Amino acid sequence: MNEVLLIAKKEIQIALRKKLIVALAVVIVGLIGVALYTGYVAYKQQKNIIEHAQKENRTKWLEQGDKHPHIAAHYGTFVFKPKTILSLFDFGLDTYTGTSIYLEAHYQHEFMFRPAQSHSSVIRFGELSVAMVFQILIPLLIIFLAFTAFTEERENETLRLLLSQGVLYGTIVKGKLVAYSIILFVIVAPFFVIYFMLSMVITNSGSITDIGLRIGFLIVMYMLYLLIFMTFSVWVSMRSSSSKNALLTLLTCWILFTIIIPKTTANLGESLYPLPSMKMYKEAIQKDVRLGVDGKTTKKDRQEQLKNEYLKRYQVDSLHKLPLNFEGIRMQSGEEYGDRIYDIHWQRLIRIFDNQNRVSSLSSIVNPYLAIRNISMGLAATDLNTSIHFQKITENYRRALIRKMNLDMAKNSKYGEFYEYKADKNLWKTVEGFQYKTVSVFETLQLYLIELLSLCCWGLVIAILIAYSSHKKRPVL
Amino acid sequence: MSNTLRILLRYEWITFTRNTYQIVMLCCTFLLGLYSIYYGQSEIKVQRDTIRDVIAIEKKEFDEYRTSFQEKSTTESQKKKLQIASDPAYAWHRHGYHAILHPHDYAALAIGQYDLHPYYYRLTGMSLHYQIFENEIANPVKLFVGNFDVSFLLIYLFPLLIIAFSYSLYSGEKENGVLPLLNIQSISIRRIIVIRLLFYFFLITSLALLISLIGLFVSGDILASENSLAAFFWMFGVVLYCAFWFAILFFIVSFKMNSSFTAISAAGIWLLFLVIIPSILNVWVTTKYPLDSTSLAEITRRTSLENEEDVNEAKEVIYEFIAHNPGFKGSEKLIHNNTMAKAYAALTALKDMHCQKDVDHYNNQISYRNQWVSGFHWINPAVNMQSIFTHITKTDLSTFRQFHKAIELFHSRISYFYFRKLFWDKSITEEDYLKLPTLEIQTDTVKWGTLIVIGMLKVSSAMILFFGIGFIMMKNKKI
Repeated sequence: MNEVLLIAKKEIQIALRKKLIVALAVVIVGLIGVALYTGYVAYKQQKNIIEHAQKENRTKWLEQGDKHPHIAAHYGTFVFKPKTILSLFDFGLDTYTGTSIYLEAHYQHEFMFRPAQSHSSVIRFGELSVAMVFQILIPLLIIFLAFTAFTEERENETLRLLLSQGVLYGTIVKGKLVAYSIILFVIVAPFFVIYFMLSMVITNSGSITDIGLRIGFLIVMYMLYLLIFMTFSVWVSMRSSSSKNALLTLLTCWILFTIIIPKTTANLGESLYPLPSMKMYKEAIQKDVRLGVDGKTTKKDRQEQLKNEYLKRYQVDSLHKLPLNFEGIRMQSGEEYGDRIYDIHWQRLIRIFDNQNRVSSLSSIVNPYLAIRNISMGLAATDLNTSIHFQKITENYRRALIRKMNLDMAKNSKYGEFYEYKADKNLWKTVEGFQYKTVSVFETLQLYLIELLSLCCWGLVIAILIAYSSHKKRPVL
Repeated sequence: MSNTLRILLRYEWITFTRNTYQIVMLCCTFLLGLYSIYYGQSEIKVQRDTIRDVIAIEKKEFDEYRTSFQEKSTTESQKKKLQIASDPAYAWHRHGYHAILHPHDYAALAIGQYDLHPYYYRLTGMSLHYQIFENEIANPVKLFVGNFDVSFLLIYLFPLLIIAFSYSLYSGEKENGVLPLLNIQSISIRRIIVIRLLFYFFLITSLALLISLIGLFVSGDILASENSLAAFFWMFGVVLYCAFWFAILFFIVSFKMNSSFTAISAAGIWLLFLVIIPSILNVWVTTKYPLDSTSLAEITRRTSLENEEDVNEAKEVIYEFIAHNPGFKGSEKLIHNNTMAKAYAALTALKDMHCQKDVDHYNNQISYRNQWVSGFHWINPAVNMQSIFTHITKTDLSTFRQFHKAIELFHSRISYFYFRKLFWDKSITEEDYLKLPTLEIQTDTVKWGTLIVIGMLKVSSAMILFFGIGFIMMKNKKI
C-alpha cells in the first residue's frame, strides 16, 4: 500500500510540474464555474417566466367570464414546460423540445417554440453546461494527464529501474490510477459538494422527483465514467510504444466517442426509420377521423349510431326528449374517437423516435460517452422520455378539461340551444391548475438499462484488461 | 520552381506515400465525405418529397373548388362544396394556401437550420399567429446531435486531419535526429517547414475541394446562374478555411515544442474554436438576451367575441376594423349581411394587428442575439465559416426570417382577397380563381454577398495574423 501511495505522490508531483496540465485543470474548473453560473441564471430566468405565465394563464382561465362551455373549451389553456433544477447541470434536449402547448377542443396541438429556433446556426456547436464539461472536456484532461503514464517511464528508462527494485507492475498501475483519481477528485469534488448541498437545501424541487437520489446517481455514474476513461488512458499508455502513439490513439478514440459516433448513429437512426412530415401526419389523422379507423365507418355513421344508442337507452323517439343535451354527448363522443385515433398515430410516431434512438442507445455498448450522455439527460429530466411523458400528461389534462366542458353542456343545457346556456366560474374552478411531476428515478433508470449495462461492462472489461496487462512482468516494448 | 523546392516536394511525396496510416486517414475522410454528401441529399430529398405532397394537397383542394362551379349542385355535399368555394364567409377560413420555402440546390451541403425551422405553412385568412408557430415533426435527439453534412466534415474533421498531418513537421525531425542535418543545409528551417506545410496544404485542400466538387455536382447544376456564384464562394471558403488551419498549425509549430506538446496544443486550439468558444457564447447570449416565448404563446390562442350572440359587440368590432382598413368600407349592407362572419374576420385581423408589437419585439430580440454573436466572429473563425456556408446554401436564420416576412405579406394578400369579397358582400367567382394570391419571397432584403465577403475577410485576417506570428517566431525562436 505504501508503495502505491509513494508512486501516486510522485505522479501528482510530476503532474503539478507540467504547466499545461495545471493550466488545463484551471480552465476546466473555470468552465465548470461559468457553466454553473450561466446555467443557474438561465434556469432562474426561465423558471420566473414560466411560473409567471402559468399563473397569468390560470387567472385568465378562471376570469374568462360567463360563456358556453364549448366556447371555453375552444378558448382553452396553455401549458408551459417547467425547467427542472437539474437542468442547470445538464441542459439535455431542452433547447430542442418545445416549451409551450395550446390545449383546446378537437385539436391536439404540437409543442411550440424550440429555444434553438431563436439562435443562429452557432447553437449547433452546443451549449456549455456542467454535463458537457464532465462528458467531453474532463476526459480530454484525463487523456493529457495519462497518455505518458507508461510511455514516458519507458522512454526515460525509469520503468526498468522501478521493476528492478522489486516494484510490481500492478503496483505502478495502482499508484498512477490513485494519483489521477486524486487530481480529478480535487477538480470535481467542490462541484459535487456544492450540488449535494444544493439538493439538501432545495425542499421544493418543483416538477422533478427524487432529487437527492438523482444527484446521488449522477455522481456515481459520472465517477464511473471518468474512472473508465482514466483506466482506459492508462491502459493505452501501457500498450503504446511511444507517447506520441498513445496520445494519437487516445485523441482518435476521444473524437470517435464524442464527435463522430454520436452524430453518425443519430443520422443513421433517422435514415433507417424516417419520420413523417407534420402535414402527412395530420392528414392521416384527419382521414381516420373522417372515415373511421376501419376506413368504413364515417363520422356521419358514427353519429347516427350514437344517436340511436341514446334514443334506445332512454327509450325516447326524439333527441329533444332526452334528459340531457345530446350535443354535449355527441361532442364528447367525437372527442373520444378523435383521441383514440390520435393515440394510434402518436404511438406510431413515438415508436419511430424509439427506433431512431435505439441505434445510438445500442452504440453506447462501444461508446461510454453515449451511455453517460443518455443517462445524465434522463436523470436531469431533460431527455426525450421526460418530454414525451410531459406531452402525455398535458394531453391527459386537455382531455379531462374538454370532458368536463362537454359533460357540463350535456347535463345543464338543452338540445337545440347554444347561446342560451352559459357556465360560470364555478365550472372553471373544477378544472384544477396544471401540475407536472416527472416519473420516479427508478422508472427513469429502467429506460436506460442498455446504457447502464454499457457503463458496467466498460468498467468491468477495462478493469480486466488492465489487470491482465499488469500481470505481465515485462513492459510491452 | 527552384531545384530545392522540387527536391523537398518530391521527398515529402515519397514520405507520404510510404506512410500507410496517413493514406488510410485520407481514404477514410474521403469515404466520410461521400457519406456526408449522401446524408445531406437524403435529408433534403425528404423535404422535397414533403413539399411535393403539400403542393399536391393544395392543388387537389383548389381543383375541387374550381370544379364545384361547373357541377350541378343537386346533392347536399355538392351544395356545401360550392358554398365553401364561393361564399367568402366560409372561404376565408377554409381555403388553405401553402407558403413554401424551397431548399437551395446546395442546401444538402450545409443543412444549417433547415431541419429546425418549418419550411412550409398552411395559411388561411385566420389569425396569422395561430398558424405559424407550429413546428415540423423532428426527433429532438437528432436536432441536438446535428447533421453529418459536408459542412460538418469540413468545419470539424478537416482541421483534425490537418493537425494529424502537420503537428510533427518540426518536432518529428528533431526527435528523429534529422534536425542538425537540416540545419547545415543552405536552405533555412523556416523555408523547409513552409514548403512541407504547403505540400500538405495542397494535398488536404485538394481532398476537401474534391469532396466539395462532388457534392456541388450531385446537388445541382453548377453552371446555373443561381448556383455558380454560390459554388465559387463555397470552393473559395474551403480553400480559405484549410489555409486558416494550416496557419494555426504553422503558428503552433513555430514554438518548436516536442510532438506531444504540439499535438496537445493543436487539439486544445481545435477544442477552443469548435467547442469552448461557441458553447460559451451560446449560454452567454441566452442569459444576456433572455427570450420570453410565453407572451407569444398567448397570441396563438383561438379567440372569439366576448358574447358571440351579441350583435352590437360584433358591429363594434367591424367598425374598429374598418377604421384601420377604410378600403373595406364600401357595401351599404356592411353590418347587416353576414355580420357574425365579418365580425370574426375583423376580430382575427385586429388581433394580429394588436399582437404585431409583441411579435416584432420577440423577433428583434432574436436579431440582437445574433448580432451580438456575430460580433465574436473575429475570434471564432470556425463558427464564422459555418455561418458563411449556411449563408451560401441559404439555410441560415436570415433565410427563415426573410421567409417569415414573405409569409406576413402572403397572409395579408390572402386576407385581402377574401375580406374584399366578404365586406363588400360579393361572392367568389370562378374567374377569381385565376387571380389567387401567391407567395413572393423578396431575395434582396439580406445582402448575402456582403455577409459572405465580410465573413471571409475575418477568416483571412485571422489566417494572416497566425501565419505572420508563426513566420516571425519560426525565425527568432531558438531550437
